[in-house]
Amino acid sequence: MGVLALTNIHRSFEPGIPVLDGVDFSVEAGEVVGLLGRNGAGKTTLLHIAMGMLHQQRGTVEVFGLDPHRQPVEAKGRIGFVSENQILPAFLKVREVIDLHRCLFPSWDDEMAARLIDRFGLRPGARIKTLSKGQARQVALLCALCHRPELLLLDEPAGGLDALARREFLETSIQALSDSGTTIVFSSHYLSDVERLAGRVVMLHDSKVLIDNSLDELHESFSIALVPHRPQGTSDALLALPECLGIRVRTDAVHAVFRLDPDEARALITEKLGVTDALCRTAGLEEMFIEVAGGER
Amino acid sequence: MHIGYHWNHPTDTLETSAMLIVVDPSSGVPVFRQVMDQVRFHIASGLLKAGDELPPTRSLSAELGVNPMTVSKAYSLLERDGVLERRPGKPLVVAALGPEEIDLEKLDQLRSHLSGAVRAARQLGVKPGEAVKIFRQMLEDDKED
Repeated sequence: MGVLALTNIHRSFEPGIPVLDGVDFSVEAGEVVGLLGRNGAGKTTLLHIAMGMLHQQRGTVEVFGLDPHRQPVEAKGRIGFVSENQILPAFLKVREVIDLHRCLFPSWDDEMAARLIDRFGLRPGARIKTLSKGQARQVALLCALCHRPELLLLDEPAGGLDALARREFLETSIQALSDSGTTIVFSSHYLSDVERLAGRVVMLHDSKVLIDNSLDELHESFSIALVPHRPQGTSDALLALPECLGIRVRTDAVHAVFRLDPDEARALITEKLGVTDALCRTAGLEEMFIEVAGGER
Repeated sequence: MHIGYHWNHPTDTLETSAMLIVVDPSSGVPVFRQVMDQVRFHIASGLLKAGDELPPTRSLSAELGVNPMTVSKAYSLLERDGVLERRPGKPLVVAALGPEEIDLEKLDQLRSHLSGAVRAARQLGVKPGEAVKIFRQMLEDDKED
């Protein structure tokens, strides 16, 4: 079943400078999608459009087959949203924020809320403004999870949290996954978190979707090739290959990312460039991200 | 025997935990493969024996801090390979393997550990005879310790 379907989305905040330029992005029930991209790549814009918090200038958005702008109550009732920049009312107490959400969502699960308050060690009488960043984020996660949403949209949920708070957040999300098969779309700069949680990775770059693959495919069917600088024109020859995602010219060699496993990449480079001593290997997400985001294509 | 990363966690239901499975999500090796490799290694080394129970997908994924689908994928593939056995309503257990199968598994494990060394030998231009000599020498030295 399709949970989220964004088709041909265009959005810019300044004329002529698109943030999203023809983005297609859809998510099936039960998927966990990690949204990657540099700062300003449009991840937040994409999530805000999916949530109905922001209008697209072209294209269509469907959440559970609903239009989040025309049917906001029906759509938002089924979504949990947490963002790094979420602002909870500073003068309210934790208990009051939770009560507010309980009134808003008929599907609110009191037992789950009690369990999470206990697990996070939250004091219900504490005012929001006295909480640490990590605790405030835990309150936001609790409010997002306890109405048992079918879709969780998390915008850089671990941003600014210490390693332990991040792990707690991750584990709570994993539990939601195990318990109810919640569909999750999350953006994160912590690529090791993405590697722990995501089944699929979508990378936004230059206002478009550059990579949309399962994490296993990225680990096994993508590779980084280190190609010696000689002969002349190596960079252009690499860029001309349709399987080459981008290159980065470094002092040691030209680094090229391929949509091929290492053996296939080596064979292709040998065939097309006549270079036999390229080093090709698979790589973790962080290295892959740096090569792709920092390169040219 | 229970396996799983020890996790100090209120919902931890395992009575005993040994640090037998550790994943490094940033290594570039898919996590499901890391789990599979380690289970196979422990079976080959004799640490896990026929009939030993594996932790449920839910607890292992919580303990490792990874997506439950990843653990369930590793388990299903191990089951497909005949290494693990699932009986309805019971925990997943290590399948009964004959001594020959265990021996084959040991050699398979060793082979996969040596593949990096083979690649290095090729890239360095070390001749096969030299490489084998180093391996034999290292095995001898290790025995003396």
